[in-house]
Amino acid sequence: MNSPTPVIQIENLRYAYGRAEAVHDLSLTVQPGRCYGLFGRNGAGKTTTMKCLLNLLRPQHGQVRVFGLDPAKHEVEVKRLLSYVPDQVAFYPWMSVRETLDYLSSFRANWNRKIEQELFDRFQLDPAQRTGSLSKGQRTQVALIAAVCPETDLLVLDEPTSGLDPIVRREFIEAVIGAYQQGIPGKRTILVSTHLITEFEGLIDEFTLIDRGRAVLTLDADHARERFQKIRARFAQSPPEIDLKAALRVRRDGRELELIANGSGAELMERLRQHRPESLSTESLTLEEIFVATLKA
Amino acid sequence: MILQINFKSGMPIYLQIVDQVKALAASGGLRAGEALPSIRPLAEELRVNRNTVAKAYSELESLGVIETLPGRGCFLKENQSTLRKEVRRKLLIEDVDQAIVQAHHLQVPRDEFLKLIHERMDVLDDKRRTHEDHKEDK
Repeated sequence: MNSPTPVIQIENLRYAYGRAEAVHDLSLTVQPGRCYGLFGRNGAGKTTTMKCLLNLLRPQHGQVRVFGLDPAKHEVEVKRLLSYVPDQVAFYPWMSVRETLDYLSSFRANWNRKIEQELFDRFQLDPAQRTGSLSKGQRTQVALIAAVCPETDLLVLDEPTSGLDPIVRREFIEAVIGAYQQGIPGKRTILVSTHLITEFEGLIDEFTLIDRGRAVLTLDADHARERFQKIRARFAQSPPEIDLKAALRVRRDGRELELIANGSGAELMERLRQHRPESLSTESLTLEEIFVATLKA
Repeated sequence: MILQINFKSGMPIYLQIVDQVKALAASGGLRAGEALPSIRPLAEELRVNRNTVAKAYSELESLGVIETLPGRGCFLKENQSTLRKEVRRKLLIEDVDQAIVQAHHLQVPRDEFLKLIHERMDVLDDKRRTHEDHKEDK
């Protein structure tokens, strides 16, 4: 069986603004139907990477492919297949919400009116309001409507929820799940960059953690939560000398030990058990904790 | 149907949904013939990927726990496993063995462990009885 063409393929991408290198040798592949997270701190290179996919920047080295096409050579085809919510949403401020959506829909072959109405109701937007007087949260909501209604195969979200209040963030995620992720399973692909990982935790299938322009870790989300564990042990006396080199991090506090394990959880548990701890427990790390543990290690 | 996803359990999300539906079915929290929420509202409520809920439902269907009626949704089936008896035993043995290993590490002796199993089965029976009573009250 031929494997399907990846929706996104980035190979050895490099981009520098003058001397400042933003992306260094980044490679990643997003398969159809996946929700892929691009995690990193501010300035890690997430937006630069996305701009290369959208042909807003030209890769200086390496290549990017979207649906197998070079976005620089097939700009119109690629843009037809994707929609994008940028981190800074800007509309013509004198247009109303209704006019803005009509204007944006005029560029699209398809526009789902039913979903548009549904999202209008959900977000309680006023179609007559000028976009210049919308709050940041409302501007993002309008941008999401404009991105979902064309029913494209790929949705690119760049830091969509940063700077929004918790209620708006929740509604945003629910709208992505409900309105965008419908239709044939395995068709709608999402690429989302964020440092607010907790909210997207349940949505993410796979992620790449980038730091200073480099991919540090790429994993399936379920697999990541299985690999990364926090182990706590408490001993009757202060903990004996135990070989814990397999741990990513070790913290000692009196009679207690706290370890972060990356794949070596079972082995470490067994080592600790041999020293008969009073209590021994383990839990998985959330994606956000994995992010912190990996970047601080 | 109220489910709770725990990202710290280390268990894949779809399996958490599968296990919780099975537990609800065993305790009478979900009754044969009762409808499960459709994929979209459940995914939105749990704030998980729709594909994840779809995967859980198809797993439950292949296990014979639920059935999909085209155009009507998913329903809990009568408790009739499609698997042969020895296969069912084998599946259960894996879980029982795991519990026994855990009991060993927690230094729970045999008698206490067996007593615990009886206790937990009684709890589940009680739950089921309560749900049955409520059903008759209606």
